[in-house]
Amino acid sequence: MFLNSICNHFRTSHRYVNGTLKERIRHVSTSPVMSGLMEFFDDEKNWGSSEVKTGRSWTKDDLRIKSNTDLHKLWYVLVKEKNMLLSMEHEHNEQVRLFPSPERLDKVLDSMENLEEVVRERNRAYYELETTELGEQPHKTVTGPFGLPVDYHETEHSIPKEVNAQWQKEQNVKCRPEDVKAFLLKYKEREYLENRRRQRRDFNHVIGLLNRFPKMDMEALKEQYPDVDIEKAKASRKYKPPVVFD
Amino acid sequence: MSTRLYPLYQKGNPQLRVFLSNFWMKLVRPEHKQPPNVVQFHCSMEMTRYDIKNYLEKIYNVKSTQVNTRIVLGKTREEPGKGYVIKDDDYKVAYVVLPKDEKFEFPNLFPESAEKEKLDHDKALDEVRKNHQKYLEKNSDRPGLPGWFSF
Repeated sequence: MFLNSICNHFRTSHRYVNGTLKERIRHVSTSPVMSGLMEFFDDEKNWGSSEVKTGRSWTKDDLRIKSNTDLHKLWYVLVKEKNMLLSMEHEHNEQVRLFPSPERLDKVLDSMENLEEVVRERNRAYYELETTELGEQPHKTVTGPFGLPVDYHETEHSIPKEVNAQWQKEQNVKCRPEDVKAFLLKYKEREYLENRRRQRRDFNHVIGLLNRFPKMDMEALKEQYPDVDIEKAKASRKYKPPVVFD
Repeated sequence: MSTRLYPLYQKGNPQLRVFLSNFWMKLVRPEHKQPPNVVQFHCSMEMTRYDIKNYLEKIYNVKSTQVNTRIVLGKTREEPGKGYVIKDDDYKVAYVVLPKDEKFEFPNLFPESAEKEKLDHDKALDEVRKNHQKYLEKNSDRPGLPGWFSF
């Protein structure tokens, strides 16, 4: 009712201005009135229905053209929608009913993921411009307790690491060096053997492909199996292309 | 810094603000009988009772006078035929007390009109099934004949 009166107001006041009317009307909010705890439940007309029709999720391209304020508002709309769907799903499971249109939850989660990615994009761009660094959490590769490379995400601490006994203790988790050496030897051997087996397998597979499809696109083959030397494969004794009678 | 990484808070610093909160809350039917102004929620494990109070107040505009929380241990059970133990996720339950004069009753989400509609739907499906059975019986001695062949 209130919205209608506003729209009427715009219609009368902007009757003679072409083009601006549509823009003015778009600024009018159509979000529902706050209804407290009932916002944790779906619209009453959807209760007990077997299907609820919805649109698609927000894509990154949709969100890139929105302002930060709009994104912030949309995030909380999505949070509320997610809470509502989780509540409804829980109640349906409790009452052993089928939750109608469960893809709604996936759509909301997808939208939230996209929105966060867009905000990160902006954050990265801002920090790169201002500080020439990405504003992401700094991380580096360090050697872990088993002698393997581990990703270490740096975090802020209130005291420097030289005097942080707790942190020092956490860092000094080390295995016996001879055990680490023995482990790494076996680990690398396994990696090496796996790699060699894969190469042999690919080589034989390429020969099989050449035997079956002699007129195959060689460029595509080279792209898919970059490790395989095709000339060497053709020199193999297993390479027996079918005889073609023209 | 990134949106998900907050600077370390030290005394005297300005208050940290949450811009994109990724907490969730579920309003659930209370397990046991509660006073009319107590609402039961399941929420994110990381939420404290202050978080819950602020979350409801800022996002849903719901005032609360008291919040109690507890953590429910997920059930463990043996995977039949596999021999290993699997455990369900733990979850946090929050009991939110509304002001004295407010009441909240968990609504019935499955109204009778919808039930009736569902019954009608089932009835129509039964009719279709019966007709198909009739059709099959009629064509039992002439299998493979199309439906339009006879009068």
